[in-house]
Amino acid sequence: MNTTRTLSPRARWAVPAVVAGAVAAAFAIPAAVGAVASDDLPAVTADELVDRVANAEPVPVSGTVVYTARLGLPDVTVSELQGAGPLDLLGGSSTMRVWSDGEDSSRAALLGDVSEYSVVRSGAEAWTYSSADDEAVHYVLEPADQERYDELAQRALEPEVEGDVPAPSELADLALAQARISTDVEATDPVEVAGRAAYQVELTPQTDATLVDRIRVAVDAETWVPLRTQVWSVQDAEAPALEVGFTDVSFDAPDAGVFEFSAPAGAEVREVVVPLPEPGTTGRPSSSALGGDGDGDVAVSGTGWETVVEVSEVDVEAILGATAEGRLPEGSTGSSGADDLFEELTEAEEGELPGIPELDTRALYEQLTTPVDGGRLLSSALLSVLVTDDGRVLAGSVPPAVLEELAG
Amino acid sequence: MSLAEAPAAEVWAAPARATARLLRSELRLVFGRVRNIVLLAGLAAVPLLIGTVLFITQDTPVAGQGPPFLDRVTGNGVFLVFAALVSCLPFLLPLCVSIVSGDAVAGEAGAGTLRYLLVVPVPRTRLLLVKAVAALAYAGVAVAAIAVVGLVAGAAFFGVGDVVLLSGDTIPLAEGMLRTLGVVAYVIASLTGLVAVGLFLSTLTEVPVAAMASTVVVAIVSGVLDALPQLSAIHPGLLTHHWLDFGEFLRLEVDGSTLLAGLAVQAAWVAVFGALAWSRFTTADVSS
Repeated sequence: MNTTRTLSPRARWAVPAVVAGAVAAAFAIPAAVGAVASDDLPAVTADELVDRVANAEPVPVSGTVVYTARLGLPDVTVSELQGAGPLDLLGGSSTMRVWSDGEDSSRAALLGDVSEYSVVRSGAEAWTYSSADDEAVHYVLEPADQERYDELAQRALEPEVEGDVPAPSELADLALAQARISTDVEATDPVEVAGRAAYQVELTPQTDATLVDRIRVAVDAETWVPLRTQVWSVQDAEAPALEVGFTDVSFDAPDAGVFEFSAPAGAEVREVVVPLPEPGTTGRPSSSALGGDGDGDVAVSGTGWETVVEVSEVDVEAILGATAEGRLPEGSTGSSGADDLFEELTEAEEGELPGIPELDTRALYEQLTTPVDGGRLLSSALLSVLVTDDGRVLAGSVPPAVLEELAG
Repeated sequence: MSLAEAPAAEVWAAPARATARLLRSELRLVFGRVRNIVLLAGLAAVPLLIGTVLFITQDTPVAGQGPPFLDRVTGNGVFLVFAALVSCLPFLLPLCVSIVSGDAVAGEAGAGTLRYLLVVPVPRTRLLLVKAVAALAYAGVAVAAIAVVGLVAGAAFFGVGDVVLLSGDTIPLAEGMLRTLGVVAYVIASLTGLVAVGLFLSTLTEVPVAAMASTVVVAIVSGVLDALPQLSAIHPGLLTHHWLDFGEFLRLEVDGSTLLAGLAVQAAWVAVFGALAWSRFTTADVSS
């Protein structure tokens, strides 16, 4: 007390300056420190890296994921009014909390200010719950499909048989070889993601005819779990158009209770029966999945990064739900890892999309798309979708002009 | 007189007792002032009002619409606490906190009582601390009043039961009460930064209204800046940015790091503006 009383007025005014400096340092230093853990990683080639990831034992993962989209879409985020929902993923930054037991149970929660949108999967059933409208949706398989699912699950648990089934590493080689036809795959310098040392692999399309400039995937150096995926568009070389990554990650098994969900009392519950895809059709969009009546044809033109999927006889009214979810069609990011991650994070269900009933999907559709000659066009940094007036939908990671040309 | 030259001998004889007496009288001053009591009553009326409106409209089509938690209240009275806090956080709570903290020093100066106060055998540093503690106590009582009235009114109107979290999971009422306590504590802690800002502004002027108004302006400008996506780089450091993070207590697993981030920002504002207030108050010439 005596010492402070003898401070001159000038010295007293220096105190806040020092405090401000100390505060700034306290916030800046933890961010600047780090970026060191990745320095002493042994070098790996892209092939080894892909091989390791493909062969990695599935491990439980939980943590916080930040998703940032700069897709150049009109701003339709309404989370302040609506609470957190899948629409948030169309633009801006969203925070998610994820839990996975490494097997067939997972949970993801999209966090809003005082709201949450949760997706809980446990085996063949799944729940979504939106705190904003207190609605739970329960997805189950048809009884016949359930049997088939159990059988498949059983088989997966059986010991691996040597012989006609290729080993996972061979599959990875095959996938990589396939990818190499159209893509340059390269291991770049290790990075640090969520405080973990991570290897990074960069995928660059060889063609100029796609909207994707390059994709980077950072993979944890110990567990080989992908920690971050960044997708750059050709329109912006600086900031990634899409970025999904852990900011905080733990590989401890989450509490089993996390994966147990039942609709809370008083919530509105919707039951949805989902068909299990027929063997061999997985990964190919069907017109019924897009809301059509099922007789539509799916035509694929172009290869690799220039692939354009054309679905005809689509009921545009029914597809509005799909547009509203901002769901990328399978393969649109060009990397199966990015696709899986996007799929996992946007939590699009097979064939059924969690709807947002309160939102006027028609208005949303009109806000997101612009009228063009003979239809409406959705143009984003990574994906173009053309809906023609005669009920065809063309989608691809290509410039809009290509779609218009294809549509004729 | 440039510094607080309190008579040293008395100060060291019974400093604690003098400070305690000062704190008691300061608390009496803050909580005895009619204006402050009216403000408290107004805040406490918010959950009562919301509860009454929801009770009357619960069977009509407009039920279940509005800000977060409002649609849950009719099912479980506990949510009236959260609904009322969400309604008061953007404006009413900062307003009341600004009035009391802005008044702390400027009010005495404006009324001409500050120089008499400085004659009390307590150093200026401690006097400022006492002022800060009293303003913070008022903020705490304000939040607690909303919570208690909200809980009582909610229980009376709608009854209480197991709490459904934002994630859709249900926890027992006892744990729900614990989490409600956490929410109240977090909201009070969220207001400390604003108390420090108000105290600093209060040392700058002899016009209490100016200090109160500028403190409210700080809170509102912070809220406006927080709503501009172009400024997302500075959002995490804004005074009001983490206020609604109290929702963390209603998630499946309460993540301490999210809460700590909010508290760290408040601590930073308290440190900077507390130091500024101290520098100003201990160097100012007091003539009124």
